[in-house]
Amino acid sequence: MRVLSAIGTYAFPVILLGVPLYAAAKGVKVYETFVRGAEEGFKIALGTLPYLVAVFAAIACFRGSGALELFASALGNVLSPLGVPLDMVPLLLIRPVSGSGALALTGDLLRRFGPDSPMGILASILQGATDTTFYVVTLYFGSVRERRTGRVLASCLIGDACGFVAGFLVWRLMVA
Amino acid sequence: MNFVWIFLVSVGCVVAVLTGNVDAMMTSVLDSISAAVELVIGLIGVFCLWVGIEKLAEESGLIDVLARAAGSVFSRLFPYLKGRGRPLGTVTASVLSNVLGLSSSTPLGLRAMSEIKELYDDRLEGLDSMARLVILNAAGFCVFPSGVIALRAALGSRAPAIIAGPTAVAGLVASAGGLLAYRLLQRNGRAGDDR
Repeated sequence: MRVLSAIGTYAFPVILLGVPLYAAAKGVKVYETFVRGAEEGFKIALGTLPYLVAVFAAIACFRGSGALELFASALGNVLSPLGVPLDMVPLLLIRPVSGSGALALTGDLLRRFGPDSPMGILASILQGATDTTFYVVTLYFGSVRERRTGRVLASCLIGDACGFVAGFLVWRLMVA
Repeated sequence: MNFVWIFLVSVGCVVAVLTGNVDAMMTSVLDSISAAVELVIGLIGVFCLWVGIEKLAEESGLIDVLARAAGSVFSRLFPYLKGRGRPLGTVTASVLSNVLGLSSSTPLGLRAMSEIKELYDDRLEGLDSMARLVILNAAGFCVFPSGVIALRAALGSRAPAIIAGPTAVAGLVASAGGLLAYRLLQRNGRAGDDR
């Protein structure tokens, strides 16, 4: 674990220094080239706004109306006989849909049950199991104005479900 | 996505009207729009930094080195990018950043998307490569989930990183499941009918 944590800490400065040094050694004009890249990054970031607004608004409409809670309670009836704690069901639904929503919910669960309690550990695993699928699909395909996203979105959501099941099973082994 | 969008909005509006939550729904939508703008403003800086660094890696030939080094694993995952130069290197850099939990993952990922688009335009080989990249990064296989670990530490956990192993397993399964699902959906669906 210490090795992993060291990689996480030192990868950033190593890349930040290593890449420009390598480029300089190869005779690249470092400053000018960096700025040209930064301009491109600026355009990419701005270009994603219309797509993000569209998807965020639809998701907010679904959440704000209370429809998400209705779905969560319906899903809870199915999942709780399988041993999934009811408190986790909203997290399963929000995780692929809203990054900030999932983070807030995980924070709330950790505070309520304690981060090292079985429930806190399960919430952490589910939070870390996948990324915010809707956001990633919207951002990536929006940046190249590609609209053929249906099959990819479905595949990602199936992948998320597989990840949740795997996370749940590992958790059962951990706390057993 | 068309269907998902209409589904989310219509179910949301109907439920809001039936349960008298119209005001809450409206506030939530307006808030989310400002959140999208704030998010993009936050992204601009990160994107400038990492696409700038990526440009250096590109012009110095480092991306090509990475593409060759990652050869066997990544060219199997991305058959249409194999031997096509730069995009495979950028894809590799993006996925590796994701694995390490670095903020460079998304900017590099979007660079890779535009490089794939340049290579294949609207052809299905391009769509297939983009899809695989998105599936891998959306599943977010990560050996150091820095966000969750930081949150756990902030809330007083005595072993904040204890969940790194389990989340890595879950992320790996999510990636494999997503890629497999894509293969199966591709086989059953008609090519080009990808809305």
